[in-house]
Amino acid sequence: MKDREHGRRRGQGELEVQVLAALREAPEPVSTGWVRERLGGTLAHTTVITILTRLLAKGAVTREKEGRTFVWTATADEAGLAALRMRRVLDGESDREAVLASFVTGLPPQDERMLRGLLERAGEAEE
Amino acid sequence: MGVFVFLPLVLPLTAWPIARLAEQHLHPRAATWLLSAVAGVFAVCSTLCLALLMVVGTAQLPGNPLPDGWSDPEVREAVPSDEVTGKAAIPALIAVLAACARVLWRHQRVRRRAERALAGLPATPVAVLPDESPYAYALPGTRGRVVVSTGMLAGLGSAERRALFAHERAHLAHRHHRFLLTVQLAARANPFLRPLRTAVVYTAERWADEEAAQAIGSRRTVALAVGRSALMSGGAPVATLAGFAAMGPVPRRVAALLGPAPAGRIWPPVFTTVGLAAWGAAVGTTASALSSANSAVTLVAILHATTSV
Repeated sequence: MKDREHGRRRGQGELEVQVLAALREAPEPVSTGWVRERLGGTLAHTTVITILTRLLAKGAVTREKEGRTFVWTATADEAGLAALRMRRVLDGESDREAVLASFVTGLPPQDERMLRGLLERAGEAEE
Repeated sequence: MGVFVFLPLVLPLTAWPIARLAEQHLHPRAATWLLSAVAGVFAVCSTLCLALLMVVGTAQLPGNPLPDGWSDPEVREAVPSDEVTGKAAIPALIAVLAACARVLWRHQRVRRRAERALAGLPATPVAVLPDESPYAYALPGTRGRVVVSTGMLAGLGSAERRALFAHERAHLAHRHHRFLLTVQLAARANPFLRPLRTAVVYTAERWADEEAAQAIGSRRTVALAVGRSALMSGGAPVATLAGFAAMGPVPRRVAALLGPAPAGRIWPPVFTTVGLAAWGAAVGTTASALSSANSAVTLVAILHATTSV
């Protein structure tokens, strides 16, 4: 059960990438149906809408009303989507430092003053 | 068993002096190994003793699975019969196990979510993400990756970028996430081990800094890279209580890199402050291990005796 859950979620992450890639090949804002056709037509219409909505929430696509339906435009590329998703992970995890050793941590004002002093002295030593 | 069963719960206090001194006087690699190992042993012993106390504690509860001979007066004499401690150990052990399970679960979740975020990108050792906010992370995994934002790279010169990549690669190559996870779990198992966690978080960064300095051949460049990127990401939320320590971890790292290279020795000479602290921690660790072993053996012997009567 748990494995299937993980598989499904990872699948959705990959689908997001595929949908975004398809959308980026579109010459103009396109409908959900166009995206579905582009992906081979095997996905359900609702699945494509779900994924487009998730991309919209992440800020990777925009949509506008055209008649009675929405047309979609990609605003980010694959790296941009990865960046948006990474931001969500980083913002969402308060104790991420325990897992992802960060290059630097936050700097209280007092530390910032000390650090500026240290860097200034290091700069002087160079000249 | 007696008082020995309580010792491993408080003996982690003997590691406090070394947690403070090791970061200043030992090579960061030696300090990370020493402090993580000490924290691990203390945590295991402390949890084991909590479990033993719990076994004794459950003996007072109706319907416990212990043999009938357990309630014999001779047996009750041999084990600490303090009802309050025995019963308090039950929720304490549950809390420890729950906290550790939560740490492991979160660890896995962050790693999984970060990996999923990068799905769709080519599997290169370095992933550069278009993001204005400056960050750089080492993402452990079967193929470890360095994740860095364009905002971070934009603020650094080319030599400093090389320093940053060398630092992150050192994290991955030496599997620093395992040390961090160990001390993270230890701090949950026994709150007295928290100073060791703080110390190892710092020494692991110092270790990567020194590796980076060796890789690119300039301690000063690494110092500048650390300093510049810290100033860029200034204003990020700080997890620790500021104001207690005279100097936060980042200025200390920069100051250490601008100072002389650390000596390569693993174990400090005995008759110095740090030597005495190291020996104190070593003696404490051994005492903790022996006490918990003694208690465990005694309890098993008692259980064996009561079941064979």
